[in-house]
Amino acid sequence: MSDRLKVVLRIALPSLAILLLTLIGSLLSSYWQYVFTISIGATIIGVALVMLVGYARCITIASGAMMAIGAYASALAVLKMGWSFPLALLVGLAFGALAGYVLAVPAVRFRSHNLAMVTLVFQEVVIIFLREAKTLTGGAEGLNVAAPVIFGMVVKSDIANLLMTGVASAAIILPLTVLLYGPFGKNLRALAANEVGARAFGISPRNYMIAAFVISSAAIAFAGAISAPRFRIVDPDSYGVLSSIFMLAYPIIGGMNSIWGGLMGGGVLRILPEVLRPLADYLELIFCVLVVLTVMYFPGGLVELVSRAVAKLRTGTNKDSPPDEVVLDSADTRAAMVRAMPPAMPRTDEAAGSPALSIEGLSKSYGALQAVKRVSIEVGAGRLHGLMGPNGAGKTTLFNMVTGFTGADAGSVSSFGRDLAIVPVEQRVGLGIARTFQHVAVFPSLSCFDNTIIGLGRNPVRATMRRSLEAAYGGASVGEERDAVMAALDAVGLKRLALQPAGSLSLGNQRRLEIARAIVSRPRLILLDEPVSGVGADEAGHLRELLLAINRELGVTMFIIEHNIGFLLSLCDRLTVMSYGEIIAEGEPNEVVSAQHVRSAYFGDKDAA
Amino acid sequence: MSILSVTGLTVAHGPIVAVRDVTLEVAPGQCIALLGPNGAGKTASVEAIAGLLPKLSGKVVFDGQDISQLPASSVVKRGLALVPQWRELFPNFSVEETLLAATNAARGRSAIELDVIYDYLPRLKERRTQIAGSLSGGEQQMLAIGRALVTNPKLILLDEPSAGLAVGIVRSMIDTIVRIRETGVAIVLVEQNLEVATALAQTCVVLTAGRMAWTGSIEDAMKTDAIREAYFA
Amino acid sequence: MSEFLMVIIGGLASGAVYALVAIGVVVIHKATKTVNFAHGGFVLLGAFAAYLIVVQLGWTYWAAYVIVPLLIGALAMAIEMAILRPLRKADLFTVITATIFIGIGLSETYRLSYNTEILSMPKPIAGPPFVFGEVILTPAQLWVGAGALAAGLIGLLLFSHARIGRSMRAMASNVRGATLCGYSVNQVYALAWFMGGALAGLAGVFAGPSKGISPDLAVAMITAGFVGAVIGGFDSLRGALLGGLLLGLAETFAAAYVSSAMKSAISFLLLFVVLLWRPDGLFSERKIRDV
Repeated sequence: MSDRLKVVLRIALPSLAILLLTLIGSLLSSYWQYVFTISIGATIIGVALVMLVGYARCITIASGAMMAIGAYASALAVLKMGWSFPLALLVGLAFGALAGYVLAVPAVRFRSHNLAMVTLVFQEVVIIFLREAKTLTGGAEGLNVAAPVIFGMVVKSDIANLLMTGVASAAIILPLTVLLYGPFGKNLRALAANEVGARAFGISPRNYMIAAFVISSAAIAFAGAISAPRFRIVDPDSYGVLSSIFMLAYPIIGGMNSIWGGLMGGGVLRILPEVLRPLADYLELIFCVLVVLTVMYFPGGLVELVSRAVAKLRTGTNKDSPPDEVVLDSADTRAAMVRAMPPAMPRTDEAAGSPALSIEGLSKSYGALQAVKRVSIEVGAGRLHGLMGPNGAGKTTLFNMVTGFTGADAGSVSSFGRDLAIVPVEQRVGLGIARTFQHVAVFPSLSCFDNTIIGLGRNPVRATMRRSLEAAYGGASVGEERDAVMAALDAVGLKRLALQPAGSLSLGNQRRLEIARAIVSRPRLILLDEPVSGVGADEAGHLRELLLAINRELGVTMFIIEHNIGFLLSLCDRLTVMSYGEIIAEGEPNEVVSAQHVRSAYFGDKDAA
Repeated sequence: MSILSVTGLTVAHGPIVAVRDVTLEVAPGQCIALLGPNGAGKTASVEAIAGLLPKLSGKVVFDGQDISQLPASSVVKRGLALVPQWRELFPNFSVEETLLAATNAARGRSAIELDVIYDYLPRLKERRTQIAGSLSGGEQQMLAIGRALVTNPKLILLDEPSAGLAVGIVRSMIDTIVRIRETGVAIVLVEQNLEVATALAQTCVVLTAGRMAWTGSIEDAMKTDAIREAYFA
Repeated sequence: MSEFLMVIIGGLASGAVYALVAIGVVVIHKATKTVNFAHGGFVLLGAFAAYLIVVQLGWTYWAAYVIVPLLIGALAMAIEMAILRPLRKADLFTVITATIFIGIGLSETYRLSYNTEILSMPKPIAGPPFVFGEVILTPAQLWVGAGALAAGLIGLLLFSHARIGRSMRAMASNVRGATLCGYSVNQVYALAWFMGGALAGLAGVFAGPSKGISPDLAVAMITAGFVGAVIGGFDSLRGALLGGLLLGLAETFAAAYVSSAMKSAISFLLLFVVLLWRPDGLFSERKIRDV
């Protein structure tokens, strides 16, 4: 089966499964058709919450309110405006998206518990509004809703409801699946795994979280709109806080990082009160116990249990994991890079002859402590410039100011003539600036391939949605991106591990992965933060060779902080030494390191031979 | 009979193996220095000995008892105190309250009276009601040392006590530590500053990239290239 | 004018209960860095336990004031040890989710025992209302207000000055430093949850007679506790006390001068406004020294 067909099938499978369920249900009794209908309706919510709660890691207690908004909006569209049901469904969808936006804009300023509370606020205010705005919404008694009419046919019977719900659900889950399987979903997971690393390559937390809220709220509202007419009435109490919290259980029990988890969670949990009638009273308590047990012992949810069981059935695991070692041949490396790496993006602001990095008078104080005092450094294009100094010298603070993660009190940083103070972190990769991190910031659950592709920096929300669509049907850019990523992985020696999750790699290989991610966009400047911290001497030597080759063949400028002075001596053509926030030496590495005052800075006044 | 015996200590710091197979012995009342460049694993070693960091493997025997599996809160109660690299004080506690908090660790054994502590660290006495967060760097270092002393330790692990301090303060701190050493408390001193190390210790262990590179007397270490190589190799 | 005074005193009285809840939330958060979304459930169970003691067993309220905090404190401590200790290494998301569902689980447990009837309790103090000119205040109102306030202040003082409090404050300030003083993380966390649970249980004994006992109480109380804590800056007990009082005042004013619907909405709107405008709380700027 061709690769492209595999991809299409994978994306279409959840929707096809829903259609299959619909088909099966239609052959069963009336009662089961009803059960299937509500189950299928809940799968929309499950998948939507996998996106928001599972991928984006946003705890939301507003799902009930979103369902209510969809239900009321579509009911009112039919009742008050006389619109057709299909149109009313779209109205519900639109209001859901709008509500998601209204909630998200204030909410995404916060994380964790504050975020959860803001969603709770939204939930309660919406319900209070629905209860109080009697003329519009019928108040606490709600609205009476007629049976939907689609293309002139009244949807009243159980089978009609089932078919309508099945088709609609399959239709709405498809775009969700496209997004979740594609770069959009991967970027969400990257963001949740390591926000700092994600931001450095253009993934904006605010924009992505807003997008996740808008999309999931729209889907949940749609689910509310399509399920409401079944019960002939929409009233505020059906959509209260408790319902929101129990919907939260869908992705958690089903499996938070998997679309199938959303399908299973929503589909199964929603109908348990129906199917397990005698236990109905205790079910909510049972759900609570299940959720707590799940987060404690089975964080992967039902999906993980199922896949573990399936793996046990297969005799032994089929994966012969490739050895986690890397063969690096210098000549091959150079050839591979030159041959396969795509040309750099044209830079329109290339100020001829400007230094790659120009730091002028940078200062930063924390209260009484002056961490950095008026530091100026100039790094010429194509140079390998190192920064060293004893503990507490201010190197890390300086580096954070250069990379944009900390604001400066005074001074400026510019690159190729561009003042970086006004450039947010997310936009730097677009300017040709990439970086690595002291505490490796790879995305552990994503493959090396997916980690590297993020390095291309094509990560604004809309562009990523477009790329997700292209990934689904195999557009032109997919192949081009793939080639660039494989070339970068090849250059660092990780080609064989391309499909391995980054979290399973050794530290040395994770550092290589960071370098692959940094070079794939053909940057002009790479900022490296302790690139050999924690790796052995051999591996440090390999990394050194790699960086030298990258510098020579691709002309990339590098600015490096390191504690390993031997490494800096063997790599850099210029070295700056800091101590107590100031520069105490700068120049040719060997001279700098043998200077008396540099020795004193490290050892105190007694010299070590 | 050594008061501290560490064998085969291996410590991970996240994904990095920071310390590999380190062994050292400290006799009662002895002071040994742990030297090496940044990232060599000195801090990870002493924090693992103190129970703040989990160990991958290795055995730590203190005062005849195996403390390898104990958390820091239990270790300090046995008489092994740590003055950590970043001091880890309580910014809103007064000097006096900080010291009182540490008396918790001495329960069972006799706590050292606060007056005794103030005797060693007179600057602290002047500032006993001052909030720790408003003290100068040197005074904070004194407070961290005082906090360790309150627990009535038989051995103190000192992690870079001179870091970030001005030369004059470092000198007075050396005097204080000498006085402490003279009461019979053993000391393991992590330092990059060789002046401090030579003033206080006779023997040293040099670490590079998590492994032991050299052991012996400090005098010999200074004469050979051992230390310079460790830093600049 | 007299109506105004009544609104203020009434607001302070109900605010005192909110303050007690908020203080409990902050104690747990300061010492263990966990936001306890199950706190409302503890309040509900406290109210329920008081009902059982006063109505079913026929004992006096004083028995409830003593027994319930110990009972709920023990329950909270047990939950910390059984569920949260294994989750100590887990991420925030997991812990928050766990406490949310523990809270709902607790109210569901209650609901299963007494269904959805709203239980009512006799007033803690009987007697004719006090009349000051045109101001009418019931003894129960005053008792609850004064009692909750006193309990809150005691909790505050215990935390900020007693030896028990020192271990929690040290842990709140610097976990590593605290362990170097011999404080065990397990013990201090268990203690913090005991104290937080006890405060919640006590709040339930005060809230039960005036607000009625039902699962809605749990949601109302966690919201009130959270809002009070946020107004106070979330890491200051004094701030939580003031925040709870402020919330009580806001609600009573809203009910008296706007509408009862506004009363429900005001706590949420207040939360929203504070989070957006002054996320560090209304009383920060170091005016409130960290207690």
